[in-house]
Amino acid sequence: MSMVDVQAVRKVYRRDAQEITVLDGIDLQVPEGEFVALMGPSGSGKTTLLNLIAGIDRPSSGKVIVAGTDVAQLSESALAVWRSRNVGFIFQFYNLIPVLSATENVELPLLLTSLGKAERRERALTALKVVGLADRAGHYPRQLSGGQEQRVAIARAIVADPKVLVADEPTGDLDSKSAEEILALLETLNREFKKTIVMVTHDPRAAERAHTQKHLEKGVLKA
Amino acid sequence: MKFLPFVLKHLKRNWVRTTSTVVAMAVCIFLFCTLQTVLREINAQLESANAARLVTRHAVSLVFSLPLSYGARIQAVPGVKSVANTTWFGGSLPAKKEGKAEGDASTTDWSSFFPNMAVDAEPYFAMYPEFQMPPEQYRDFLGDLQGAAIGKKLADKFGWKVGDRFFLESFIPPYRKSTGPFEFVVRAIFDTDTGKYPGTDTNIMFFHFRYLYESTGRRLNAGTYTVAIDDPNKAGSISKAIDGLFENSDAQTHSETEQAFRAGFIAMAGNLALLLNSIGLAVSFTILLVTANTMSMAVRERRTEIAVLKTLGFPSALVMGLILAEALLLGFLGGGVGVFGSQALMWVIMHSPAKDMLAGVGLSTLAIKPAVGLLGMGVALVLGFAAGFVPALNAYRSKITDMLRTV
Ligand SMILES: Nc1ncnc2c1ncn2[C@@H]1O[C@H](COP(=O)(O)OP(=O)(O)O)[C@@H](O)[C@H]1O
Ligand SMILES: [Mg+2]
Repeated sequence: MSMVDVQAVRKVYRRDAQEITVLDGIDLQVPEGEFVALMGPSGSGKTTLLNLIAGIDRPSSGKVIVAGTDVAQLSESALAVWRSRNVGFIFQFYNLIPVLSATENVELPLLLTSLGKAERRERALTALKVVGLADRAGHYPRQLSGGQEQRVAIARAIVADPKVLVADEPTGDLDSKSAEEILALLETLNREFKKTIVMVTHDPRAAERAHTQKHLEKGVLKA
Repeated sequence: MKFLPFVLKHLKRNWVRTTSTVVAMAVCIFLFCTLQTVLREINAQLESANAARLVTRHAVSLVFSLPLSYGARIQAVPGVKSVANTTWFGGSLPAKKEGKAEGDASTTDWSSFFPNMAVDAEPYFAMYPEFQMPPEQYRDFLGDLQGAAIGKKLADKFGWKVGDRFFLESFIPPYRKSTGPFEFVVRAIFDTDTGKYPGTDTNIMFFHFRYLYESTGRRLNAGTYTVAIDDPNKAGSISKAIDGLFENSDAQTHSETEQAFRAGFIAMAGNLALLLNSIGLAVSFTILLVTANTMSMAVRERRTEIAVLKTLGFPSALVMGLILAEALLLGFLGGGVGVFGSQALMWVIMHSPAKDMLAGVGLSTLAIKPAVGLLGMGVALVLGFAAGFVPALNAYRSKITDMLRTV
């Protein structure tokens, strides 16, 4: 069974009277435990597709079934609950919350669970250990390097133990050494923790780390 | 609540902005509470005035007095029950407590100023059921030309007991005598039932007009006449009838209900209050803008953060709630500081010489009533809510994908 099953998806944006078709009939199956790289030129619709898979956007038509749930069928609030349990999102610009320490950032998704304070702390620390930043638990984002920030962001994405990780150009803002570390970390999460990963990138070296590569061009997927 | 630290951290990080907003809010609530307290005190005074009593004064100004012969003529007007000469003495305690001043005007001790009135005691107290005293004290007071009936608050303030003597000297030249201040003996101490007569102030003293008249040796007039009437509903026509009597005399009169009289007396204070209230309103509006600006800046800066929270699965309502909580907290802090500041100011005034000046115009107790304090907090919270509502609603409505798109 596919962890991600995108069927005949179209996404059309309306700007004034003008219609822009960003995704034009996409079919994509990602089996459980897979590590897919989604490539393509800027403006080809990579982020749009990733957002649909992550359940933060809805298709104009077609189906997006992730972890057995038809995402488009859910109400706004049900979708929020579903996201908190099933998807971990990794952004290009890390998007940590500046007023919170590393631990507090990682703990954030757990605030939506019924876990007690001590257990939330413990799980956040475990996640930080997985990304190798246990010693920076009390640091604030401005006290961390870009690579470290992204690792905290990855810890935040995995702390609630989602089945799917989506990453939108996770190395796009990093130097090659940090990028290398992030990619290695994603590989580990895929191999050891069995996370299904969909990663958008336009860096061929990053894409090589994935098992499969998909190319998006003008709203259509090429093998 | 597990989200409180999250809200607090945001306020703390932007502490300059937070502090300035809280201070602005506090100033607003401070003004509000202080004005409300003073206004309420003034209104209580007005409400304590009785519509079944008229005050007849000189038509031109309170500065001029009325002939003593008017008393009997007013008494003859149909509907008038009784008339009492009521003359504001304007006396204060001489600086030297032993009295026997050297006839020097500078001996006046202004800090212990309190209202004191020379009256026709018998009709006057008959008109004022508000003032209650033991019958034997009242009898002694009537029987002693130097006798003084003093209110409970006044007695407490100076520690005066029945039988104590004190001196008063007026700053009004005709009410001064060459032999020095007037000597009085406390003969009666009256109190009031604040439940039945709220707003009645017992920080006041009455004595016999006859004592004033005889001691000065001058042909004194009456400051005002207090007139009791049969039917409060006829106050208008009786006032007209009284004023009609003296239409063609040198000293024309102006009669009105005691309530209207007091209202006129504090009209200046009232106008001031109106002015201050308008200022207060303008300030509140400014604060609303300041706070709204703070909140919308806070939210605009946090577009990405809001998108992240929603991506993580925070329900839109929770995100909205967090922003509203932040705004309400600003209101709460500002309101708390404002109410506390206002109470502190009043405490300071009530423990300073200014207290007696205020008591002289009838504001003998100034303290924030719980209702005013709560109202102040309420206003602060409403301002906070109003300021936070639009940004919070925007955060609620905004789509994740729109907010994440870097422009
Ligand atoms: N909310 C939106 N409204 C209008 N156009 C959009 C919106 N989001 C994306 N687009 C357009 O869709 C196209 C694909 O965008 P995107 O998925 O971000 O591309 P990529 O991530 O591959 O660079 C772009 O032309 C972009 O301008
Ligand atoms: Mg993109």
